Amino acid sequence: MLPLEHHFPLTKDDLEKILEVGLSLGGDYADIFMEYRHYQAVAMEEDLIKETSEGFIQGIGIRVISGEKTGYAYTNELTLAEAKKAALVAANIARSGEPAVCRPLVTKRIDADAYPLAIPPNKLGLGRKIELVKQAYEACQNFDRKIIRVKAGLGDVVQFVVIANSEGLYVTDARPMIRLNCLAIAEEKNRREVGYAGTGGRVGYDFFASVARPEDIGKEAALEALKLLEAVEPPAGEMPVVLAPGHSGVLVHEAVGHLLEADFIRKKTSVFWNKKGQKVGSPLVRIIDDPTIPSFRGSYNIDDEGTSPKPTLLIDKGVVVNFLQDRLSAKLMKLPLTGHGRRQDFTCFPLPRMANTFIDRGDTPPEEIIRSVTKGIYAARFEGGQVEDSGKFTFTISSGYLIEEGRLTAPIKQATLIGMNIDILENIVMVGTDLAFSPQTGTCSKEGQEVPVSDGCPTIKIARMTVGGQL
Amino acid sequence: MTETSEEKAVFGGIRELQLVAEDLVAFGRKLGADEVEVTVATGEDFTVNVRQQEIEDLTQADFRYLALRVIKDKRTAAATTSDLSLETLQELMKRAVFRATLGSADEYAGLPSRLEEHVDPASLMLFDPEVLMLQPQEKIALALETERIALADPRITNSFGASFSTSAAALAVVNSLGFSDYYMVTSCSLGVGLQAGETDNLVEDSWYSAKRSFRELSPPEAVAKRAVERTVRLLNPRKVKTQVVPVIFEPPMTSWLLGFLFTCVAGTSIYQQTSFLAGKLGEKIAGANITVIDDGLIPGKLGSRPFDSEGVPTRRTVVIEAGVLKNYLCNTYAARKLNLESTGNADGGGVGPNNFFLVPGPATPAEIIASVDRGLILTKTIGHGLNPVTGEISRGAFGLWVENGEVVYPVSEITIAGNLAEILNKIEMVGCDLEFETAVCGPTIKVAELTVAGE
Repeated sequence: MLPLEHHFPLTKDDLEKILEVGLSLGGDYADIFMEYRHYQAVAMEEDLIKETSEGFIQGIGIRVISGEKTGYAYTNELTLAEAKKAALVAANIARSGEPAVCRPLVTKRIDADAYPLAIPPNKLGLGRKIELVKQAYEACQNFDRKIIRVKAGLGDVVQFVVIANSEGLYVTDARPMIRLNCLAIAEEKNRREVGYAGTGGRVGYDFFASVARPEDIGKEAALEALKLLEAVEPPAGEMPVVLAPGHSGVLVHEAVGHLLEADFIRKKTSVFWNKKGQKVGSPLVRIIDDPTIPSFRGSYNIDDEGTSPKPTLLIDKGVVVNFLQDRLSAKLMKLPLTGHGRRQDFTCFPLPRMANTFIDRGDTPPEEIIRSVTKGIYAARFEGGQVEDSGKFTFTISSGYLIEEGRLTAPIKQATLIGMNIDILENIVMVGTDLAFSPQTGTCSKEGQEVPVSDGCPTIKIARMTVGGQL
Repeated sequence: MTETSEEKAVFGGIRELQLVAEDLVAFGRKLGADEVEVTVATGEDFTVNVRQQEIEDLTQADFRYLALRVIKDKRTAAATTSDLSLETLQELMKRAVFRATLGSADEYAGLPSRLEEHVDPASLMLFDPEVLMLQPQEKIALALETERIALADPRITNSFGASFSTSAAALAVVNSLGFSDYYMVTSCSLGVGLQAGETDNLVEDSWYSAKRSFRELSPPEAVAKRAVERTVRLLNPRKVKTQVVPVIFEPPMTSWLLGFLFTCVAGTSIYQQTSFLAGKLGEKIAGANITVIDDGLIPGKLGSRPFDSEGVPTRRTVVIEAGVLKNYLCNTYAARKLNLESTGNADGGGVGPNNFFLVPGPATPAEIIASVDRGLILTKTIGHGLNPVTGEISRGAFGLWVENGEVVYPVSEITIAGNLAEILNKIEMVGCDLEFETAVCGPTIKVAELTVAGE
């Protein structure tokens, strides 16, 4: 864990008083999320460090739950008076009139350490951070004469949180995050293409010495842009699709993960709401969400309600076995907590969210999977996706390859793939041995709240899917 | 400007914050910054979500926020905070002045130079005291009523809930060249999301209305009916064969397309060469029926404001006139890079739209549909798939199939793919139905051909 602590102006005693105000009009439960974030960012373009920025963001959110109703209020003034005022606003959701009881706060010790690091983000000088950005930028620019423009950026943050609730929980966490990005534009014969690359996670600055070099990110962005200069238009229509390991994890995030979030289940809007224990996909499919993988973007020692997270098996041999829970949904559904109550920041109340979601490895060698396709596409890199509760989902590839007679041939440009999740899960006909995770740059958006996530999968073959190219 | 008692109650704080900002600018100058800009925002937000006729959640908050920018020896540093204590602000400023020395000198960096013009905020009617006076019970009742009307339709099988929200904010910009001003805005919105169909054959859609004044907001009845109609028309969708057909964009879809066009005409994308429209000023890039305008001065609209985040007065800028690219939309920095004038589009550190819209044409939506022998009405897209460098578009899509000028059935699990450069030249018809429901908006349009991928 980070060898440092932020000193909040509100004490544990203050938090007890705030919780009492929260339950002063009744209600079943109240909690507090107090946060302080320090971020720094560096932006480089046109060979210049154009701007550096930083910020100190603080605030406190108070939630009161009464039955299925949530009252929420927040303020960015960390004083007892302002916090009590907010607590009273949140308290209005409950109107039984009888104050409910708050237990005395007891500090919960956290043994987990999902953020092993040597140099915390806020302990490295800005000058050194600028050097890292320059290394990525220059490696990209110098990679090939066809690279005409480069942008590189670095952002880091440390988020200190204090979580307390009316059941007596008091727990703190200090969460680091770093993200390094590079964009390259390549030009040849009046044609321009763009390539991106990025890396990071809940890591310290030692990461760039021991795990990933900024130069490699710069080169990867350049290579991607150059590859796209050679790319042909993607085909259009239904065809077999082979998903590359790692990058293709977005498929499991969109097609399956979201619709196993417990709020969509209890509201019966998810196509999976009545399918627990039922087979929804091929027996080759095993899907897990694990918030405890060290250094991953989606990882945490405690979720944003103070729950210690557990790896959660969602789909086993094609059968739905679990949902992703936050406190409210778990209570209403009478199911155990899984530690997936997450929020963007103090301005939002928690929702059930994914952390690090992946399809587990299978037993087919990846070469064999590609060899099995006569005519189809290989989805190599992704820019994102979206799903409806009905199960219809899309994901967009930024690059890929045609597969012809069992071999990868011409690179292809951007294309959007669409399908119905239950059809696609049924149509997963081969799963590779080569489980990998996508670059640690992913962000998931739900009801306006953004949280960092990651996802992964091995090489996978989907028997047929609609590919949206141009005729 | 005169202030009502309601305004005072909420915005008593903005004048105080404006003074804090002025002091902070002076402090930055004293520390050796050549130029300093401070922006502050304060206000209150309220949102209630109801579902199945019960309150699901209710959020209420007061917020304050400050951002600053310093330029020293043509080197720039920026910062933000929600901790407005004097100690934190001064520390942030000291650190910014130091951080500026670590950046690169950039001859184009700096504050806007000419700020003589002035737009009277009151003339823009951005502030409605009625929004502030609405009581929580009234707001809850509006959301409940909207959902109740929608759920009364037997074809609706589930609800994602209805929500009503209000926001009131005051924004001030102060800089070391002597600019110091503020304005106040309100907004309110009412929406509902619905589901129809059976377990494995569900469809969903939603509708909402958002306005600066409560009086202009669509009533519950109108929002509910529109959401119901949009949802049930998607029931029992079919797949279609992959083909190239005319595609009609409904107004929300035209608005989405214009959002992508905005990215491609933003001055930042132009000087960075990340737009396919870089270097095309004065060229014909669209059909003669296409005129696109950015206008920050239309009274009462969501994209209106007296000045941008750098204090530059907003204006009306013709971006595309009868198909010819006339202007890029710039903040001060992009304008200097491109040897143009700022168009009052500064937004935080970048460029943002004011009211950015496609000027309506003569056709009614019914006439547009009647003109299509076989094609698609695009009602919704999902996913990513926009590439400003190439103009390429590729999205998951939902819509209605048209045969012989009439809607015959809904379609889903399709994608649309095309290129904005080509689409702009293939818009055969422009509808008359422009509504300013969003800051970026357009009427119904008909694009002569796009690839629709299906079976």
